[in-house]
Amino acid sequence: MNGTIKVKHLAKTFKKGNVKAVKDVSFEVNEGEFFAFLGPNGAGKSTVVQILTTLINPTGGEAFVAGCNVSKEPGKVRRHIGVALQETGVDPDLTGREMIELQAQIFGYPKQKAKERADELLKIVQLEESSVRRIGNYSGGMRRRLDLALTLVHEPKILFLDEPTTGLDPSNRKAIWKELERLNKENGTTVFLTTQYLEEADSLADRISIINDGLIVATGTPKELKAQIGNDLISLTFTKQEDVTRAKGALESELDMADLIVQEGHLNIYVNDGNKQLLQIVRVLDQHDLKIETTNLSSPTLDDIFLKITNEPIKEGSDSNG
Amino acid sequence: MIQMGNNVFKDTWLITKRNIITTLRNPFSFIPNLMISAFFLLVYEGGLSGISQLPTFEGANYLAFILPVSIVSAAIGGAGGAGQGIVKDIENGFFSRLLLTPASRLAIVLGPIIAGMLQLFVQTLFILVIAYLLGLESATGFGGILFVILIAVGWGLAFAGYSAGVALRTKNAQAAQAGTFIFFPLIFLSTTFVPYELIEAQWLKVAATINPTTYIFESMRTVLIDGWQFWDLMQGVFAILIACTITITFAAVSAKKAVSRG
Repeated sequence: MNGTIKVKHLAKTFKKGNVKAVKDVSFEVNEGEFFAFLGPNGAGKSTVVQILTTLINPTGGEAFVAGCNVSKEPGKVRRHIGVALQETGVDPDLTGREMIELQAQIFGYPKQKAKERADELLKIVQLEESSVRRIGNYSGGMRRRLDLALTLVHEPKILFLDEPTTGLDPSNRKAIWKELERLNKENGTTVFLTTQYLEEADSLADRISIINDGLIVATGTPKELKAQIGNDLISLTFTKQEDVTRAKGALESELDMADLIVQEGHLNIYVNDGNKQLLQIVRVLDQHDLKIETTNLSSPTLDDIFLKITNEPIKEGSDSNG
Repeated sequence: MIQMGNNVFKDTWLITKRNIITTLRNPFSFIPNLMISAFFLLVYEGGLSGISQLPTFEGANYLAFILPVSIVSAAIGGAGGAGQGIVKDIENGFFSRLLLTPASRLAIVLGPIIAGMLQLFVQTLFILVIAYLLGLESATGFGGILFVILIAVGWGLAFAGYSAGVALRTKNAQAAQAGTFIFFPLIFLSTTFVPYELIEAQWLKVAATINPTTYIFESMRTVLIDGWQFWDLMQGVFAILIACTITITFAAVSAKKAVSRG
């Protein structure tokens, strides 16, 4: 057994409506790696997670989780993975402690060991005081933390987290991030995370793959991905809105620039040396009598990468069935 | 990591136990059904017991005659709970969480059905206690009472199979509950209030003959009123076996679809 994930030409077509949710996806996740899977709604993220966690079978390609084929050895895969899906999987009529003990016993822990494991996990997710309350009375953040504890019951080598912080307030989100980071760094747990929060992927992940329309469109470290579109982002607005398009044309022809995107009235220019090129840009625009209202020089975020690759802005906080 | 082989019996017990706990924590999910069944018993006994003076009754106790109606109506209402429990688990994600564990797939489906059966067992006991307090007499003593419980639970299993099958197929709580309502006409298209010979309408006689509920009622009545008459009792047992074969097959096919990874 190992903590790796290997995916080769994975495909999934749903019979209903003949929907090709995943067309051709290949990637590898190393043992102990924190891997993030990014994509807009309907890109195929959740379908990939469902295949890797044995909930559905692929219609093409193959996938190995912890060294086991997900289609042929689903039982073995389930023993080695912890999964937190988009919706928390808890019974509102049980207490937090009962829920963890039940999960532990299903994973083969004897009763006493299950109790001890519940003690440990309740402490980790800071639910000791609420452990005897019914889950139906828990807040969204508490349920999410309990859900995380349930995924950890059997000390899995690989954790799958499908948008684990969607709908959480910032403090709960930070608490989950901290715990995931600890598990990854201290325990060496491999983490496979899907998210729409680019900040999340940027701060946690060692490597990121971006999926769009059932295909992987980019893979790399956050730094590598950012480098693909230039080190700096210059964002300009103009006194007259209509000047944005003229300015884009002027810069493309005179400075031979290719990475320009018009978005919501802004002209976004991706360059390698922002400070130096900003002066040139201002000069060219001035020559064309295009009046700049504001300038902003910053490092591109993963939002920018995402927009550039998929031509679609991230819809933060929305539900995804992708 | 602790690694043990998953045992279908242990998994079934764990999941059944959890279903029992959640049922007990939601008393209003079963108390109204129980009250209505007890109410039926009281009202029918209070209002209709005079007809037992008719010669066809041959002096039989009307309470023993009407008791099976109350028990079967409780079984139908209670069995709907098995399906509703499954839908609730699907809706709150607990069903998916179980599918992500190595728990036996059979145990995941059997758990709520067995818990439903145990609920029915307790319900039937409750109604029998009320009937006893009202003056129920069993021609076959304690053994006959056990037979009545067995028939009630068996018939309830047939309904629970249907309810669970609808739940797994539709994933809709209303559909799971409504599914059991189609069985209510079966209670009344039968020898519900009077023996077969006293049914006036020809169409109702035909309906009562082909309605399996008739054989359930008659087997319970035989054991309570007439004694151990093997073939009469076996008719009820056969009706249960046939109904359970059909509904449990339906539940199993629906379950296979629900846990399949297609």
